[in-house]
Amino acid sequence: MVIATRAQEDPSHGRGHLLDRDKIIPALELALAEGAQYAELRLVCETTNSASLRDGKLHSAIPGQEVGATLRILADGAWGVHSSTDIASIPSQIESTVRLAKAVASRRNSADAGVCLAEVPIIKDELHWHTRKDVREIDLETRLEMMGQIHAEANDDERIISVRCGWSDEHLHHELLTSEGMDRTWSFQRIMTNTMVTARDGDDVVSYRSRTGGEGGLELLDATDLGKMGRTCRESALRLLSAERAPSGKMTLVADRDLTGVYIHEALGHPCEADLVAAGDSCLEGKLGEKIGSELVTVIDDPLIRGGYGAYPIDDEGVDTRTKTLIVNGVLMDYLNHRETAHKFNLIPNGGARSQDGLHHPLVRMSNTMIMGGNHRDLDELIEDIDYGVFACGSRGGQVDTGRGSFQFAAQEAWLIENGELTKPLKDVSVSGMTLQILKQVDGLTRDAALAAPGFCGKGQTVPVGDGGPLMRIRDALVG
Amino acid sequence: MLPDDALERLMESARAVAKVCESNSLQQWEVVGEQDYGHSIDLEAGRIALAAGGGSGGLGLRVVEDGRYGYAHLADASGAQRAVKEALSIARKSPSIAGFELPVDTGSATTSGLIDRRIIDMSSEDILEQADEILSSVTALDSRAVVTGGGLGAGAGAEVIINSNGIEDGGIHTSHGFGIQVGIDEDDQLTSAYEGSSSRSRLSDIEQVVERAVHWAQITRNTIDSGEVSDCPVLMTAEGFSPLFSMVVPSALIGERMAQGESFWSNRMGEKVIADHLSIVDDRIMAGGMSSSSRDGEGAMTRRQTLVDCGRLQSSLWSTRDACRMMAEGKIEHAQTTGSASRGGYQSPPGVGCGNLLLQTSQKTHSRDSLIEEMDEGYIVHSVMGAHTANPTSGDFSVTTSMVLRVEQGEIIGALKQAGLSGNIGKALVGELLLGDEVRCHGSYSSGSMYLPDVLLKRGLRINPA
Repeated sequence: MVIATRAQEDPSHGRGHLLDRDKIIPALELALAEGAQYAELRLVCETTNSASLRDGKLHSAIPGQEVGATLRILADGAWGVHSSTDIASIPSQIESTVRLAKAVASRRNSADAGVCLAEVPIIKDELHWHTRKDVREIDLETRLEMMGQIHAEANDDERIISVRCGWSDEHLHHELLTSEGMDRTWSFQRIMTNTMVTARDGDDVVSYRSRTGGEGGLELLDATDLGKMGRTCRESALRLLSAERAPSGKMTLVADRDLTGVYIHEALGHPCEADLVAAGDSCLEGKLGEKIGSELVTVIDDPLIRGGYGAYPIDDEGVDTRTKTLIVNGVLMDYLNHRETAHKFNLIPNGGARSQDGLHHPLVRMSNTMIMGGNHRDLDELIEDIDYGVFACGSRGGQVDTGRGSFQFAAQEAWLIENGELTKPLKDVSVSGMTLQILKQVDGLTRDAALAAPGFCGKGQTVPVGDGGPLMRIRDALVG
Repeated sequence: MLPDDALERLMESARAVAKVCESNSLQQWEVVGEQDYGHSIDLEAGRIALAAGGGSGGLGLRVVEDGRYGYAHLADASGAQRAVKEALSIARKSPSIAGFELPVDTGSATTSGLIDRRIIDMSSEDILEQADEILSSVTALDSRAVVTGGGLGAGAGAEVIINSNGIEDGGIHTSHGFGIQVGIDEDDQLTSAYEGSSSRSRLSDIEQVVERAVHWAQITRNTIDSGEVSDCPVLMTAEGFSPLFSMVVPSALIGERMAQGESFWSNRMGEKVIADHLSIVDDRIMAGGMSSSSRDGEGAMTRRQTLVDCGRLQSSLWSTRDACRMMAEGKIEHAQTTGSASRGGYQSPPGVGCGNLLLQTSQKTHSRDSLIEEMDEGYIVHSVMGAHTANPTSGDFSVTTSMVLRVEQGEIIGALKQAGLSGNIGKALVGELLLGDEVRCHGSYSSGSMYLPDVLLKRGLRINPA
């Protein structure tokens, strides 16, 4: 057996290893003997708890533990991968996975140099991000009581017809062994609660949703006024019942922190992912060092912002994470990368390799992505010279076509801005545009940049992310 | 790719868990198991980026005690005792639902076309050869065209369900699918198009799908000047319409959401809700359907049911638990399972969703060319960005498209660079509309699989050119 038994040592409750080094290291050496350039085995053990309330009553509670591992082998400049929940079977897959990589390599065009990996420090260590209140110690009653606080405030109006609350927490234990001698073990935790409130008035039915949480333990939600979250959702849902449809056309848009975050995630973050750049699917290809945005725009992606939902200590190739400064005063400075793309673009590996879980191979992904603050004091100062525009709040999500550089994101609610004042509430606001155009149209940012609500990013695989920034003003945005 | 005894081994594991349930004298229990195997290829920058294989699986356990239920999942049968303890502990903290019991065995539906031995026999080399063909076909169709991203995969899986009320069943299914993003980057102009296909049997339409992807990457080049914001007819191709339809309509048809007042079709049972020549059918037993099965996620027999018949709302989607809960809470007088319990996997208890959802018309259907002619003036939208931001509660949406063609006097005159598209799906389906004659299967943003044709919506949508 490769996997240690729970009786011997339980890494989910302390330091320890699930992978048996005595068996895995020789297996990786076998891969080299079979002609591989590089081999790695990465294991993720997720101890999870999810729960949901519907109308104040427990609807579901699911405790779980999932273990998966992925063997990734580079041979003749091409990748072969094998993933399984049957960890014990993986050493027996070494030879076939080397053959698979070689079969891919044999199809490569003669002009294609194949995959090379940037060099990184070879580290043997353990790194555990500890929390003040470990998620594995939370009992179901606590989860129910905290979701109950949201429900009680969210439900306080006869027009509210349903309140759904959800909860998830997870402890993530990672191990990575490579043929280069890397042997890293790390762990961290995440926690999140969410709600969706539905209101009805006659035939009009609307909903509003909210999330809070991040990287860390129960202390994150202890510090959150969950009742206020429920109250805010209720008030927003009720306001939407009487909100008007948004106007269509080009106008000045002011985005709240949530929407600023989803904007920078979609419009800039994805095109900055170096695997998309390498695939010829990014509008930012060849633009490093070019001015692509307004002087006001500085953007970072930072997995080391503790408490952000996209935080992690070590990336899924064993590279130490660091702050990535993508744009400084409008100039594109860096791509998010992993070892393969760092080599391709001659960049320093910046720890951007992430996978959904133990069963997926790493891709280049964002972590916590933010626009930094500007010079405006507050919302009032930002809108005082706007004759006609929209202040949009709360994200319903977004999407980008990285190649064309077009993006779209949608707001949960909005207000019309008339003569420097917020006037009517609006609904169904979405914003679209072209990345390389709209980054230049940012002409106002408040000073107070911070991460907004937790989010999830899909790119074939789903990973948790944080994003945010200050309040942001964009001229001539296409509002629909 | 699938071991010969995969189903037997999985059933053996499920029975071992069931034995632990019985030894704990549980009132009611249900064990589900899944085991999947497959090969996949990632395509990138006109080449094969990697080849992968592997398998995953596990077991799920639901226990019911006095109308209360709890759930736990486990990697293999060795964790059964722990899972029983956890599920029971949760059940005892859950609210009791009067009359809630797990389904009894009333038999299973007859389904066909869910297994193709040719897929089970596929090797990783077979998949690599298919990927080679896709890459070379794209270049052969247009030397400028490159597959910038996408993938190809073939898989086979076994699944089983056993419960304390006599259900014991299992089966094997196969799947084969691919999707490609094709880009043409020339003269400082990049256009791209995504197309894909999936099937329970070995794909037979790879060539046609590749041709569509190249065609749309070509036809959206050399954009024309944008027009004004207008409320006008829009021909949504099946690829453009399916994401919006799937985000909104399946949710609106869930019985619990209707009973709670959360659906825009709540309190409308028996009433006309869409155009009277249209019907919406959930066919969970469709031959070869991507979401077909002989039993639903909790073992109840599946069926074909007409949810909206000639414009009138006739039925909704229920699982046993939701039906009992809504009756116990007095939200509905009578409801029972419609065989619509859906599972996202063994890691979670069953929810409710559609299977294979079809939009059909009693009127004549039309070719795409005749729909364009019929539209006279308007736009064709082939894909939308941000369909997941549509509001399933209200049906409202406001999305963006870069695959939009302007039609004047029944002829395509050119592509727009980008446009906003907004409206309300529920209301658009009430208005004047015509359906195309070719139905294609697409995935879903909520549940099930969408089998939809092109739809010409004459009213209710707004185009906002960039």
